[in-house]
Amino acid sequence: MNKPLLLVVEDDATVRNLICTALKANDYRYLTAPNGETALSHAAASQPDIILLDLGLPDLDGVEVIRRIRSWSLMPIIVISARSEDADKIAALDAGADDYLTKPFSVAELLARLRATQRRLSALQGSAAEAVFRNGKLTIDFGAGCAYLDGQELKLTPTEYKLLCLLARDAGKVLTHTYLTGKIWGSSWESDMASLRVHMATLRKKLEKDPDTQYIQTHIGIGYRMLKVE
Amino acid sequence: MEQSAEHILACLSPAPSNARIIRTAATMAQAFGCRFTALFVRTPGYVNLAQEDKTRLRQHTLLAQGLGATVETVFGDDVSYQIAEYARLSGVTKIVIGRSAARRKHPWSKPTLTEKLITIAPGMDIHIIPDASTTPTYRPLPPKPRFLLRDLGITAALLALATVLSYVFSQVGFTEANIMAIYLLAVLLTSVATSTRISYILSALGSVLVFNYCFTTPRLSLRVYEHGAPMTFLILIVAALMMGTLTDKLKSQVTQSTRAAYRTNLLLETSQMLQKAQSEDAIFQVARSQLYKLLNRQITVCPGEDIPAEGDSLRYPIRVNDRLYGSVRIAGAEPLEAFESSILLSILGECALVLENSRNTREKEEAKLLAQNEQLRANLLRSISHDLRTPLTAISGNAGILLSGSDSLPPDTRHQMYSDIYDDAQWLYNLVENLLAVTRIEEGRMKLRTQPQLAQELVAEAMQHISRKKSEHTITVIHQDELLLARCDARLIVQVLINLLDNAIKYTPAGSAIAVSTCRQGETAVFSVADDGPGIPDAEKSRIFQMFYTGSNPIADSRRSLGLGLSLCRSIVVAHGGRMEVDDNSPRGTVFTFTLPAQEVMLHE
Repeated sequence: MNKPLLLVVEDDATVRNLICTALKANDYRYLTAPNGETALSHAAASQPDIILLDLGLPDLDGVEVIRRIRSWSLMPIIVISARSEDADKIAALDAGADDYLTKPFSVAELLARLRATQRRLSALQGSAAEAVFRNGKLTIDFGAGCAYLDGQELKLTPTEYKLLCLLARDAGKVLTHTYLTGKIWGSSWESDMASLRVHMATLRKKLEKDPDTQYIQTHIGIGYRMLKVE
Repeated sequence: MEQSAEHILACLSPAPSNARIIRTAATMAQAFGCRFTALFVRTPGYVNLAQEDKTRLRQHTLLAQGLGATVETVFGDDVSYQIAEYARLSGVTKIVIGRSAARRKHPWSKPTLTEKLITIAPGMDIHIIPDASTTPTYRPLPPKPRFLLRDLGITAALLALATVLSYVFSQVGFTEANIMAIYLLAVLLTSVATSTRISYILSALGSVLVFNYCFTTPRLSLRVYEHGAPMTFLILIVAALMMGTLTDKLKSQVTQSTRAAYRTNLLLETSQMLQKAQSEDAIFQVARSQLYKLLNRQITVCPGEDIPAEGDSLRYPIRVNDRLYGSVRIAGAEPLEAFESSILLSILGECALVLENSRNTREKEEAKLLAQNEQLRANLLRSISHDLRTPLTAISGNAGILLSGSDSLPPDTRHQMYSDIYDDAQWLYNLVENLLAVTRIEEGRMKLRTQPQLAQELVAEAMQHISRKKSEHTITVIHQDELLLARCDARLIVQVLINLLDNAIKYTPAGSAIAVSTCRQGETAVFSVADDGPGIPDAEKSRIFQMFYTGSNPIADSRRSLGLGLSLCRSIVVAHGGRMEVDDNSPRGTVFTFTLPAQEVMLHE
């Protein structure tokens, strides 16, 4: 399999070395950029497949870098943040980032995120317009408006089905609470937030009868993500 | 710019020379680098001012503002008293006035403004500027014509009555002495019944004339035959005048003592109410109600700042020296009487003092709290730097050995070193997370970003972060209500759960059972972490929540316990409006329980 080209944007040399060492050991090709401006010019010139972006850059705000890249490209962006404030991550995700890692992260975690994003990329390229979504034992027939688990139709409420479709269409990507409530109810009041938690809990109960397969991952305080199941 | 303690006051007036006084005062204020106030004393005579005088006054006001003065207006008819009172209340140190105000016109004329000011406010510097103006700006108003007419009427009526009575007496054959007594009585009654001095003087003169005309021989003529008659008239007049003066004085003393009693009562009541007032709001409320009682006009109190002018209204600051605590606005344009105004100033002055006291007390308390926080911070820093040194020594030492010659070490030793480095780094990371939570709670004054969170999601998140040693323990999770929602700041509550679980793992021997459970109790969501370890002695239960308390548990790895965890957990839970408790588990072990407000959910479809 052709290993994708990565762009590593990180101002701290030690962390940059750590990431590069991990990427080299796993046969990834990569470019590095120590600041936002270099990152933007590399992104435009070399068209990397995935960007690893540190939010705290010396010249530009990371969220600003995401906005500028999103103005012309949909390339996946994984945000690396030393800030433990959830608000920053949510801002980055809402600006168009696909995923996030919080420092300190383990190399294994970084590689897992990269694999997930790659899978998402190939799924996007392969089945962008497909009317049927498949993930492990889960099947969604968008045309018929039905979802099946292990061949059996799932009895979902309209809201649960909408949630499932939203997560499936962006499988692998972290969707924030605000994004989800906005898509479903058009608002993000606190009552919507509470409803979202409950609908998600009931959806997961129906979806994850087998405790070993996890389809939906909770990012507490941030949002939810559908995992790709082999 | 650092302001000096000086405070310069110039008085505004419509006199043409006033502009020069304002400029001089402004120059002085600049030289001293101090506060500069232009004061206008609005007397009852203001309404009688000529239009051009009013225009000039407005120009002077604008000039003063342009030169950086704060323009204030006070009301009253005693100009010197008002200036002195304002100067005293506002901490004015220098007053600039013109020379015309300082010069006595005749040696026997009334004391001048300057002399009065010196008497009333002896501590003030008074700067006298030469000016050309000789026209006094204000003349005392003549008594109001309405009163004068009424008084003259009374005087005439009493005189007529006395004459009629005297005529009757003279017909009956009473002597002149009796008739004289009747007239004296009339003068006395006149001075009691009227309020202007002119009326009893007229009454005295009139009595003598009428007595002379009607009752001395020859009758109906002003001529007199008797030798002693002029002496009698003189005595009559002097007696009448003296009686009038005495009554007048008595009357004014009665008025003054009534007013003094009223003033004392009102001020006493005010200070009693102020003593009871607990908060600044209550103090302003007292000021408003007392001023309303005094003036019976609409009062607006504006705490903390200068009240904006609004239509026809009077404005007064509430201040002690140069600290402004607020201001009051009194509806209606008519100026206050000197008496009312002096009580008003006393009430405002007292309010300002009480406000200053309460503010001082609060500042002292805040300083004390700050000192405590500083103490806590110092302890925290000391404790942290001590606790950081150990894992850092281990990390750098291990890494150093690995760098210098890892090839000579057996593989399992090397692996042990790698894993020590990893563990210590993880421990440091957890410490940093706790410290971040501490600073967030301290800085944000407990400002939490709460959202409804599923209790089971919170527990699941915490389980992912606990120490790698958890495999040595059996951890079970029980959710009584799978859809239990708690209002909380997810990151902080996960941190609480991590701390509790880490403690349970750390302080119980390998193989112990740990149970995490959640349930709903009325309006609250209850979380508990129970273990079947050795338990905590009752004596220590009350102390484990103190900051930096590390207990005496021999199982605890001494270097790994900052003693921050439980006190932090409790602060976080309390900040959410919940409580945290520790109890004995049965048959043995410990249960930590904390509550959070539960969230009701209305499902949208």
